[in-house]
Amino acid sequence: MKMARMFKLFGAGLLVAVLSSPALALDAGARAPDIRLPGLKDLVSLESLKGRVVYLDFWASWCGPCRHSFPFMNQMLEKYRSNGLEVFAINVDEKRSDADRFLQEVPARFTLAFDSKGETAKLFGVKSMPSSYILGRDGQIIEIHRGFRDEDRQSIEAQIVRALGVH
Amino acid sequence: MAATKKPTKYGSIAAAALALPGVVLHAENAPESGEVALKYLHYNDSQPGLDRITVSSPSIYLLLPISPRWSLEGTAVSDAVSGATPRYHTAISGASRHMSDERHAVDVKVTRYQERASFSLGVSRSDEHDYTSNALSFAVTIASDDNNRTWNLGVGTSSDSIGSTNDANLHESRKTTEVMVGVTQAVTANDLVQGNVTVSNGSGYYSDPYKEPDVRPNKRGHVIGLLRWNHHFSELGASLRTSYRYYHDTFGISAHTISTEWVQPITPRLSVTPSLRLYSQSAATFYFDPIYDKNVGAPYPPNYFSNPPTYISPDQRLSAFGAVTGGIKFVLQADANWRADLKVEHYVQQSNWRIGGSGSVGLDNFYANFIQLGLSRRF
Amino acid sequence: MNATYSFSTKARMRVAASALAALVLAGCAYNPPKPWEKGNLSKPEMTMAGDPLDQRFVEHIYSSKENASGGAGVGGGGCGCN
Repeated sequence: MKMARMFKLFGAGLLVAVLSSPALALDAGARAPDIRLPGLKDLVSLESLKGRVVYLDFWASWCGPCRHSFPFMNQMLEKYRSNGLEVFAINVDEKRSDADRFLQEVPARFTLAFDSKGETAKLFGVKSMPSSYILGRDGQIIEIHRGFRDEDRQSIEAQIVRALGVH
Repeated sequence: MAATKKPTKYGSIAAAALALPGVVLHAENAPESGEVALKYLHYNDSQPGLDRITVSSPSIYLLLPISPRWSLEGTAVSDAVSGATPRYHTAISGASRHMSDERHAVDVKVTRYQERASFSLGVSRSDEHDYTSNALSFAVTIASDDNNRTWNLGVGTSSDSIGSTNDANLHESRKTTEVMVGVTQAVTANDLVQGNVTVSNGSGYYSDPYKEPDVRPNKRGHVIGLLRWNHHFSELGASLRTSYRYYHDTFGISAHTISTEWVQPITPRLSVTPSLRLYSQSAATFYFDPIYDKNVGAPYPPNYFSNPPTYISPDQRLSAFGAVTGGIKFVLQADANWRADLKVEHYVQQSNWRIGGSGSVGLDNFYANFIQLGLSRRF
Repeated sequence: MNATYSFSTKARMRVAASALAALVLAGCAYNPPKPWEKGNLSKPEMTMAGDPLDQRFVEHIYSSKENASGGAGVGGGGCGCN
């Protein structure tokens, strides 16, 4: 009896281990899954941005380089919104209050979404913080950036321009 | 020091902290901001009936990120030491004459950051009028792909010159090398564990010219196992830092050290950290108890002259004892860049506090106070 | 003067036991964080490094009043501290 129970426990443990093993990361070329998350006020979704190029960003208050990527995202949006760019930034802080403090410091003029459980980060297989994905108008992942370095600004902007088809 | 009512600043405090050196989970980049820190350190110790040593030392720390790939770190400290120490055991009558000395120490470390690794080269020097030490070290950290594990490797070498104010003819030296291998692992989102093993070997002069009689072996090796575990309590916002160290050397001394710190943020600006440290060591094989020759008297043990031992020492630091340190530290993060801290500790060393054995006999207790007052600025 | 200058088997075994204990401890709840779960570990008090001047000061004191020293890194020199 006890033995059987132990086996069951072991089996359950194994199952949990399999289920919790890292999800496969989404690569360039893959279709971005739809995301629905609480925003600053209402629910926000990726689906609603269809037909536009989306700069999708995963960030957290404790992430150092995120302080540098925010101004960059503001700047990109300002420059290319009329060409069809959207910025969709998903916060993965466990505590919303930490995210709010960060936002009071570092202004964001783009769409914000809050995923305290990190489920969307898992879905995308985020490998470092921040991570950003450039999604084409058809919702396909065109480029993936891990981390954010000041020297990457130009090449990211060039990729955005290409995705927008701006000439 | 009244907190200004600007909640906006709080966020930056947490975030700015990321730029601190030693954020192990991101080895690939140099720290984002520099830091300069000043500390005033005060130390005094005593035993019943004798105030022994007082040390005042201002110190400075500088961290300079040179580029995203390079950083430079350095410290300088200047000790002003005065007081007296026993020439043997804890004998007050035999205490050294009033002495005053200065020690100047500097160390500089340059670090190169790669995608998954860092390499550091460090030099240090310490100068006293009767003692000079030079050391060189090289350390490598290698992070796993997910940045959850870091391997730490280090080699170091030091070369010391030893003199004595009592004996102008004393010109001795000592060389040591050490190797450390360790691993740091993020075990969960709230647990960081580290294990290190250090092996050291040295040869040269190990005796203490200010103790009598004191003749120590001219070789010494030690092995150290260190385990550290930091755990974060999300609900309390607190972190518990614990460590255990096992030490053994060829003088025959085994020592155990357990230390714990509880870092408790009180407000987003202020944190308080109570700490407790327990230490215990066995005696060196050649340490002798304060039982002296009936005819010659202190500090010589019975039969010292008729049958002199090869190695001998009356140094309290080589005896068997236990020690407890209790302390408290306050850190005030005034804004994103300025920080002030105060730490007070009290230390008691007592023979009968040795863990797992009896302590050395006939020694007085030893007490010390450490005070640190610090100010730092990020830039 | 027996084998004073080589480490005893007991000492070796203690170090090995400590290493084993670490592994067991780590194995108990081994669930390393995902990249987006590192908020708590990136708090400065959760890193192994600490206040550099504080550490140097305290290590210097202990190394001059106790026999054991070191273990956390390489690179320190000695002193003639009494």
